[in-house]
Amino acid sequence: MLLKTKNLMKAFGGLKAIDKVDFELPAGEIRGIIGPNGSGKSTFFNLVSGVYDPDPGSYIEFDGHDITNEPPHKIGALGLSRTFQLLRLYQDMSVINNVMSGYHTRVKYKFLDAVIGRKKIWDQEKEIKDEMMELLSFVGLADYAELNASELSGGQRRLLVLARAIAMKPKLLMLDEPAAGLSPVNVDNLMKIIMQLKDKYGLTLIIIEHILKVVMDTCNTVTVLDHGQKIAEGTPNQVKDDNAVIEAYLGKKMNDEEMRKALAV
Amino acid sequence: MEKFKNIIREYPFLGFIIAYLILLSVPSIFFTDLYQSHLASLIFINIIVAAGLNIVKGYCGQVTVGHVGLYAVGSYTAGCMFMYLGSDLWVTLPAAIIVTGLFGIAFGIPSFRLEGPYLALATLGGGEAIRIFIENGAFFNSTYGISSISQPVIFGVPFDTPDKYYYISMPVMLIAVYFSYSILKSSVGRAFMSVREDPISAAASGIDIKKYKILAFILSAMFAGAAGAVYAHLPPGYIHPNNYTVIEMVTFLAMVVFGGLGHIWGGIIGAIIITIVYDITRPLYEYQLFIFGLTIVLTILFMPKGIGGFIDKIFIDKRFKKKKVEEGK
Amino acid sequence: MKKLKTSISTIILTAGLAITSIAQANDIKIGVSFRMLSDVGYKHGELITDTVEQWNSEGGINGRKIDLILYNDECKSEKGVANATKLAYQDKVHVIIGSSCSSVTLPMVPVITKAKVPQIIPHSTSSKITMTGSEYIFRVPVSSRFYKLVQGKFTAEQQGKKITYIYVPDQASMVFAKEMIEYMKSEYGVDPVYAVQAGEKETDFRSYLMKAKAANPDVIVLSGLVDETVRMLVQSYEVGIPKSVHRVANSVASKVEVPTNAGKAAVGVVYSAAFAASDTRPIAKKFVKKIKDRYGVVPGHDFSQMQDLLDMLKPALTKATAKFSGDLAADRNAVRDAIAGITNFTGLASGPISFCANGSPECRDGNKTPVMIKYSRGGKNWKTAVAGTVTFNPSDGL
Repeated sequence: MLLKTKNLMKAFGGLKAIDKVDFELPAGEIRGIIGPNGSGKSTFFNLVSGVYDPDPGSYIEFDGHDITNEPPHKIGALGLSRTFQLLRLYQDMSVINNVMSGYHTRVKYKFLDAVIGRKKIWDQEKEIKDEMMELLSFVGLADYAELNASELSGGQRRLLVLARAIAMKPKLLMLDEPAAGLSPVNVDNLMKIIMQLKDKYGLTLIIIEHILKVVMDTCNTVTVLDHGQKIAEGTPNQVKDDNAVIEAYLGKKMNDEEMRKALAV
Repeated sequence: MEKFKNIIREYPFLGFIIAYLILLSVPSIFFTDLYQSHLASLIFINIIVAAGLNIVKGYCGQVTVGHVGLYAVGSYTAGCMFMYLGSDLWVTLPAAIIVTGLFGIAFGIPSFRLEGPYLALATLGGGEAIRIFIENGAFFNSTYGISSISQPVIFGVPFDTPDKYYYISMPVMLIAVYFSYSILKSSVGRAFMSVREDPISAAASGIDIKKYKILAFILSAMFAGAAGAVYAHLPPGYIHPNNYTVIEMVTFLAMVVFGGLGHIWGGIIGAIIITIVYDITRPLYEYQLFIFGLTIVLTILFMPKGIGGFIDKIFIDKRFKKKKVEEGK
Repeated sequence: MKKLKTSISTIILTAGLAITSIAQANDIKIGVSFRMLSDVGYKHGELITDTVEQWNSEGGINGRKIDLILYNDECKSEKGVANATKLAYQDKVHVIIGSSCSSVTLPMVPVITKAKVPQIIPHSTSSKITMTGSEYIFRVPVSSRFYKLVQGKFTAEQQGKKITYIYVPDQASMVFAKEMIEYMKSEYGVDPVYAVQAGEKETDFRSYLMKAKAANPDVIVLSGLVDETVRMLVQSYEVGIPKSVHRVANSVASKVEVPTNAGKAAVGVVYSAAFAASDTRPIAKKFVKKIKDRYGVVPGHDFSQMQDLLDMLKPALTKATAKFSGDLAADRNAVRDAIAGITNFTGLASGPISFCANGSPECRDGNKTPVMIKYSRGGKNWKTAVAGTVTFNPSDGL
């Protein structure tokens, strides 16, 4: 298992944001996490990536390492990369610097070499830049490399965040609503790029997404959260038919026919 | 020309050697009197401080208003070593850098928990505390100030006049700027910037926030320490706590802001322009503070990224437009 | 870009030229570096400007126009050194007047000595300044070594030897207290019963005064700037230090604000200065009236010393310009020699001011006559009485 959580818990005051979630993800899979607003999807990401500390009794394992109480940068260094719902772009840095800062954990030279400014630094920096330019042209941002990230359009920003997360060559990439706010054409385009990247870098993916079509089309397995609890897990089709899921999303009052219609959008 | 540019890009060290050779010949070609050498040394000292301040403030985004305290630590380390041990610049300079670096840790620790104005207040307190401590301590000879701090002697030639001291302060400045350049151009500089822009997302990229914050404080403290030591030995070699007040701090900040926060040459451009403008406006002393206040306000209003950012913008826009035109064809 | 560069450098160059090259070769150039921050600081600057303007309107000195270059050093040694260097090498002045603060004048001395420009001091009292042995430095005010002697003798022999000291971290205030402590130790073998340096910009001195009171002293020495001196005096009564304990202040107490603001608390305060506004000599009365009319303040000895300096400088320059050759170094030496030749100048100062040729403190501490002054009434209609005047030998107190 690449990622494993056992009895994962997090409470904010009296509210149980994540309640005893056991989660297992084998390498190479594309996993979707869905659930209504406030069901704990983003909290789950924040716990795994170390932004929040989980409550005592929880256990998180990534790639064979216990990362339960590790700080985020150590988790990142192990090869777990993520994006944020609010993007958290480096607004005041150029596009290329945004991506290159994602490369941080892979930089080989030592700090002292950087201070002295030895030639091997500049050689490596050039390599890094070339590789990152390639990545940028892959996502279609190479022309904008020198511009400030704040000058990009909404769709370009989502691509940039994606490129920055991939720059560290992660084993696991967690995408928090990568397609939020995009037009259907752009969503398709973005998902195509994500799939290409997955194949190119051999990624394992976890995707939180509100656009169910995306999840249904791309994910191998889907985990459904509601009120912090895992209520279902299975292939998209299994989940689609799960009564608990339908209930969580739509409440009980609709009839079967209407539910299916609503979910198929 | 293009080839030459590429060589410099690949070996930035060469660029600094060329700069050194140019600066070496500047006095004999352009300087008409000793005061210009003195002013040049002051500019170099300010450049060292501003380059350091640009690391912590411009790149790492940590608001520090206590930097002048670190500058004072550098000066007084050098001054006290001279007074009690008779050491000269070659000993006091590294010692000042190390001691001030240690003080930098103390200034950096509050940044783990405090941000923005709160961090500014904490560092302001630290800087003022250092000055008042020096002012009240008999050990620092604060009644009279430490005077006649020696100038270095090389091959029997004492560098004890402004025109000769130029050749001491200038290489120190160049080395400092070179270090700042290579640090900021490397992954360390990018890590600083990402800490400034978004610590949470930087941590997700595997960047250790605390480590880089404290590193920024230590590095910039070392710059301030070096500048302080070079200032202490500047002829006539006199230091007094009056020179390390909040007003000096504001001047240093003005240099970095005016030159361009977070621009690799920002602090340097700012230090040169502010020091020269200050000197030209010397006879207008009644309006000097007004002129400086106005400059800062106007800079922040119309050029929030300072001169450096302004120049960059021109270049990038030009390049971008050119590209667009080519694509259009 | 190239265009921008050239235009910027042109602006800087022309600005620099415009400022430095207004003066003509034939002029006498006087450079001033001074603390001109506060209201009173500006007024000192105005006094110099007005006086020089008057000289010029009277036809200059030996037909030469006087060109005045005024810089502010904000009481910071860094700026003072830069000003001295600029005045000496770039503005090429014949003589420098400055500075107010001892901590600024002290580092200026090696600069002007190396540049061989005479400098004449209007305010700084620290005895260290003239002990550097420079041939180019002249002091108009009374050196702290004389203040120490007169104050020490007076206090020890007429007031008592159980002394407490409270002083603030300002150079003049610190030097006054510390030199007096040293003097009492070496001359009478007594240590202070209590001595403390207050914090910077402190306004409440009562905790220190309580401790001073507990030591049951004969004398309390309160050494600070104007506001601090007033506060310490008033607060000393608040904590209940009886009237019978003598209060001593430094020369700051000669400023009019002290008796006015301290009111009754000023009564009995003894201080030493170079000039008392209550001086009844006609020259002093005329001067007090002039300053009051023109600048709206009753002059303390800082004004009188500046006036004395200018009054001494004019004849010296007249003498020196007669020998001017156009060679700057020689002209500067001529000015130096002319100033060094001043003997027994009688102005506002309570005693004659004399210089002599060599660079020793004996020669260059011009004024050797501090006055001991005592307030006999406080408040708006304050009154002083001269408790004593001593003219010291040039080598006393070294």
